[in-house]
Amino acid sequence: MSNQESTPGAEQTTRSPRLQNRFGWLFDPQLLAVALGSLAIVVIGGLIQVSFGSYSMTITQAWQAVFDPNVVLNLEAWNAFLFGGELPEMSTESLVVWNIRLPRVFVAILVGMNLSVSGAIFQAVTRNELASPFVLGVSAGAGLMILLTLVVFGGLTAFLPLIAAAGGSVAFLLVYAIAWKNGTSPVRLVLAGIIVATVFESLQTSLFFFADDIGVVQSAIAWTTGSLTGTDWEQVRLALPWSVGALLLAVAGSRQCNVLLLGEQTAKSLGMSIERVRFALSGVAVLAASASIAVAGIVTFVGLIVPHVVRNLVGSDYRKLIVGCLFVGPALMVGADVGARLALTPVQIPVGIVTGLVGGPYFLYLMRKQQQMGEL
Amino acid sequence: MFDITGSITRATKRADDSAEASDEVDSESTEGSASTLTGEDLVLGYPTSDGPIVDGATITAERGAVTALVGPNGSGKSTLLKGLANQLTPDEGSVLIDGREIHTLDTKALARKLGLLSQESTAPGSITVEDLVYHGRYPHRGFFEHVTEDDECAVDNAIDLAGCEHLRDREVGSLSGGQKQLAWIAMALAQDTDVLLLDEPTTFLDLHHQLEVMEIIETLRDERDITVVVVLHDIEQAARYADRIIALEDGVIRARGRPTDVVTEDLLAEVFGIEADVESTDRGPTITPIGPIHDNRDADAPDTSADGSQ
Repeated sequence: MSNQESTPGAEQTTRSPRLQNRFGWLFDPQLLAVALGSLAIVVIGGLIQVSFGSYSMTITQAWQAVFDPNVVLNLEAWNAFLFGGELPEMSTESLVVWNIRLPRVFVAILVGMNLSVSGAIFQAVTRNELASPFVLGVSAGAGLMILLTLVVFGGLTAFLPLIAAAGGSVAFLLVYAIAWKNGTSPVRLVLAGIIVATVFESLQTSLFFFADDIGVVQSAIAWTTGSLTGTDWEQVRLALPWSVGALLLAVAGSRQCNVLLLGEQTAKSLGMSIERVRFALSGVAVLAASASIAVAGIVTFVGLIVPHVVRNLVGSDYRKLIVGCLFVGPALMVGADVGARLALTPVQIPVGIVTGLVGGPYFLYLMRKQQQMGEL
Repeated sequence: MFDITGSITRATKRADDSAEASDEVDSESTEGSASTLTGEDLVLGYPTSDGPIVDGATITAERGAVTALVGPNGSGKSTLLKGLANQLTPDEGSVLIDGREIHTLDTKALARKLGLLSQESTAPGSITVEDLVYHGRYPHRGFFEHVTEDDECAVDNAIDLAGCEHLRDREVGSLSGGQKQLAWIAMALAQDTDVLLLDEPTTFLDLHHQLEVMEIIETLRDERDITVVVVLHDIEQAARYADRIIALEDGVIRARGRPTDVVTEDLLAEVFGIEADVESTDRGPTITPIGPIHDNRDADAPDTSADGSQ
């Protein structure tokens, strides 16, 4: 009897694997391998980060602090971390690990996710393999505002993260306005991005001449090359809501990216309102990039290289690509930040320098290995 | 035995579904499932070209018939097709589908009625044919909606009709030109439209695949009652498979009608500039090209800037 009832359903599921498993494509063995491998790198990188630093403790002490039940299972502590409440009492080790060293790892994870997803989207929107989160003027706008704030409007330094993110978004809108002529096209967008970036970067460089002391210049360099030095739970709190929003929208929009890749005419004949989708996707990508700029400055290369790495590993289906970026991005950022923080102890260098040093040669390797890059 | 019951129930259910679906179509369109596509006094051009490429063409694609657009290079046949597909906004004139102006329709609503297979077709090489065909369901799905049973049926049907079942799990990048074209056709079929526009679907294909494509078009007309407009380079193919032929030259319609009436030695000389023998057979007129006619038509050639932008 019950058998009779269940039979049609059971048959239906075997007949239609797509229905049976809405997210079946997620269990792609390659994607799983990429995710697990990246997670391993993040965990190892994170453990290295918490084990070393100016406050000396043994590795055992540090790792015990990471898994300190007094913190991990303490709602009050999480309230303090995520909502800025009062920090409960804890051992010095736990305090150093949880309040100083770990938030930096979390910020690196968020920045890595945001930049790589943003880059992946821009590569689809502009149909250009060399696109990065900063191809539509975002970095130029943010960089100019950073310099203006540090050099001219010193009083506003407290709002620097927001000003930088806002500058990036405004530059993006400017690029769109310049590219618009009865609609846009990928080439027009990229060209407009170059125009805006050229002018803004000249202005930005010229501002260095007006910086009155070396501290301002160093701070400006840290912001414009991207640095995680001194990041705190405050940065996590600043970036987390925007990141969650942007990344969810990116995952939801991955099918739109796939259709965009079929070419403008085909996408249009499939009924896509191409300008609207392109602008919306760009907006999501700019939001993600801005969230990362606000906490880490302009970290280059992550957004360019991670989508390529993932595409080589899982193929160009954007549903998998975006999910892959959510894992590989943090792996690269956390790994690079280990180098940035510890390689030249006690001096910390901007993480953007390390991503460039690691990313460049890896890109070269990919380029030599693949006859055809990316195939967008 | 239970299986059989199960599948019968499902089959009935599906029949109901499709009946409902066609009811909806009925209430939207005037009659039947096929649609009439009409272009009235179309003047079409590109922002970059001086002067129109198509100058005042009126064209009707009859319901459930195959209409072929033929003409020499740069005659504006692809441009006309783009105009009919709402890819290019006409400078003057209008395009109507079942009496409604196409640009007043929502983009997705239009894409559920009218499909276009363009020449420009690039897919990332690493997606499978099945995934590509599923993209054809785009206009039937909302932003967050996932695959429904209707989508699956449409995709299965499209793959079956395009004869690429054996390619289903292959990556698009690994296919030959002809196989790729079949996959793209399957995608356009999955869109499940009443009108299908095809831009030179047989160009660059080997003979086997050319005939495959033309056979699919025949099936579409005979079994699905779909209105097809197809740009063809090969006039003999057009003569054999089309119900109506429209011949263009320099953006103006020079002849239209049944293949036997249009494909004549005079027209080939005038429009295509060739000397040819036309013989009428039971497979339509067959053409034996003899040679080009050298008159001063080449003197006009620099004017055909349409060639590049087409």
